[in-house]
Amino acid sequence: MKNLYLLTLLIGFNLAAQELPNLSLLNIEGKSVSLKNDFTETDKIYVFSFWATWCGPCINELEEMNELQEEWKKNLNLEIIAVSIDDSRTQKRVKPLVKGKEWDYNVLLDTNQDFKRAMAIVNPPYTIVVKNGKILYVQNGYVPGSEKELYEKLKTL
Amino acid sequence: MKNKVTALLILLSTAFYAQEEKKDYGHVSGGFESNSQWYLNDKGMHTTHPEDPFRSNNYLFLNYNYKKWTAGIQGESYEPNALLNYNPEYKKTNVSTYFLQYKSEKLEVTAGYFYEQFGSGLALRSWEDRALGINNALRGGRIVYSPVSYLSFTGLYGQQKSGFKVSDGKIFGFNSEIGISDMFKIESSDVTLGLSYVGRDEKTAVADPNFSQLTNVYSGRLNFTHNAFYFSTEFDYKSEDAIVEVQKIENDFIKPGSAFLFNIGYSKKGFGIDGTFRRLENMNFFSERTAKGNLYNDKIINFIPSLTKQHHNSLANIYVYQAQPGVSLPDETIMKSGEIGGQVDFFYNFKKESALGGKTGTKVSFNMSNWYGLDGKYSFADPRDYQTDFLAFGQKYFSDYNIEIDKKINDKWHTIFTYINQYYNKKFVEETSGLVKTNIVSAETTYRFMEDKSVRLLAEHLWADSDKKNWAASTLEFNANKQWSFYCSDLYNYGNDDVSKRKHYYNVGTAFRRNATRVSLNYGRQRGGLLCVGGVCRFVPESTGLSLSLNTSF
Repeated sequence: MKNLYLLTLLIGFNLAAQELPNLSLLNIEGKSVSLKNDFTETDKIYVFSFWATWCGPCINELEEMNELQEEWKKNLNLEIIAVSIDDSRTQKRVKPLVKGKEWDYNVLLDTNQDFKRAMAIVNPPYTIVVKNGKILYVQNGYVPGSEKELYEKLKTL
Repeated sequence: MKNKVTALLILLSTAFYAQEEKKDYGHVSGGFESNSQWYLNDKGMHTTHPEDPFRSNNYLFLNYNYKKWTAGIQGESYEPNALLNYNPEYKKTNVSTYFLQYKSEKLEVTAGYFYEQFGSGLALRSWEDRALGINNALRGGRIVYSPVSYLSFTGLYGQQKSGFKVSDGKIFGFNSEIGISDMFKIESSDVTLGLSYVGRDEKTAVADPNFSQLTNVYSGRLNFTHNAFYFSTEFDYKSEDAIVEVQKIENDFIKPGSAFLFNIGYSKKGFGIDGTFRRLENMNFFSERTAKGNLYNDKIINFIPSLTKQHHNSLANIYVYQAQPGVSLPDETIMKSGEIGGQVDFFYNFKKESALGGKTGTKVSFNMSNWYGLDGKYSFADPRDYQTDFLAFGQKYFSDYNIEIDKKINDKWHTIFTYINQYYNKKFVEETSGLVKTNIVSAETTYRFMEDKSVRLLAEHLWADSDKKNWAASTLEFNANKQWSFYCSDLYNYGNDDVSKRKHYYNVGTAFRRNATRVSLNYGRQRGGLLCVGGVCRFVPESTGLSLSLNTSF
């Protein structure tokens, strides 16, 4: 057991620059989106924010970023992608919620949580920042104010 | 087994360190999760800790990707024992899942353990949910072939994972997804069609069975979207099979099953409405017939969620509806063969500077769900049987009407107000006795100060006319910065008729976050349900003690 912990920590603290998995997901408009091929614009920052309709902090985070993203986009070439991990219990609530809250995001449906599993995500909210095909930053969890620190981080990438 | 795991880890980590060089040797990724609890005796709760008071669930997942190839392995360790309420099949340390996958643009081939879902999952879903102890991955093989972008075909065969073993029953599946609108180059609308088949082959020990060893589920689906309007529908038919009650296969009670799902909605900027209707009859489907009714969601082939709002307040999760897809006739007053009902959601944004929107806008959501048994003719004995009509609403099982008002007052203050009215027919849902009607109100406010600090206060009250009667609850959370959170909460069942059961369920804890890692420590009593604090939600079973959770990915 101890070895397992040590090895994990060793790998965990040394590894940077991972890549997105080779998966395709549907967006809320019903179109298939490839994680490998559709987020490849040079030097553009892609922020993948994992959320669910039943996760209060996730909704707070996306509400905040929705207000701020226009401002962010003035200074950075970025796109925020809201990845819903709602399964078929709550997946039908995703589209009306997104539209009702006027969220201006590209929303992907990870219905059987293949993307979540590939990234070894335990619970949302969870944010992955990708640039030039590499994962450069990960934020596990959200508290009010995290979005400002995220923006400061994005400016350094 | 341990040696094998270690050897594999070394192999994978070598591969990882190799990637330091410029050459492409592929890359390793993965994650680690650990949930431990030290259970304590608690006189106030009338609980004593189990024989092994310290228990721990640990998961290590490693993935290695090289060009079109991906290999993965997951090791799990339940030492010295799994947390309470987990499937007893989860014990000691072992390899849980492994797979090898080849994926090109048109072809994907997987050998080993894999996860799959056809349509909404009413016919087949294999997935992992560690908090619930579910991992019903299939062990076998799967081929997905997409000759063109609008066509996809899946064929699979496997046995279902159960603990560290697999089921006796064998699963066959075929699925097709056809993009009709893309095929005919229709730009204005999006139309997709899905057809699938799932077979379960299980030998039976029943002498002269009146049912076939192979049970088939056929399903068809249609999705249609035109601008802001959309609908989707699914129909599933399950071939005749013996009804199982209390682990007993009833050779003279043979019935087919069916499921019908219809969803319709309209949503545009600032407004969304969505309605779902579902009817289920005899749709329990397990990789082994007698697994029906097991407490651990073990060997489930299909996914039948309750279509109600998944609340994130703690008191709203006391009377949670469980979908009733199956046949169960425990006595002459409780005779069930399925459920019928629906759910409606409505979301609206009162814009900034409007009368109800104020300076910052106001977001309102309304949700309602109503679920009933299937009405029909039921015969308790000689013979055991039932006949139902398609649209016959029977005994009411559950309803939930709720409204949520989300108001950001300014950059510092944010409030959420919720009202919930529930009807919970305990007698029919849990097959015991009782009927509970509740009203729940909750108010939540978050105050931000000094750049990165915030305080969140949540107050809730539940009025119930029977069962455990009234509850009050409160949570106070302090987020010191992006990394540290502290919280305390209490749920108090002050209205319980039995004075000795007027318990406080208190908790104190802290969470630490840094990049991909999150660690949390909690002391207290847990009632069970969905717990959302410090930015993360998870399900927890009832217990008293000290718990430590850690998760990271790399």
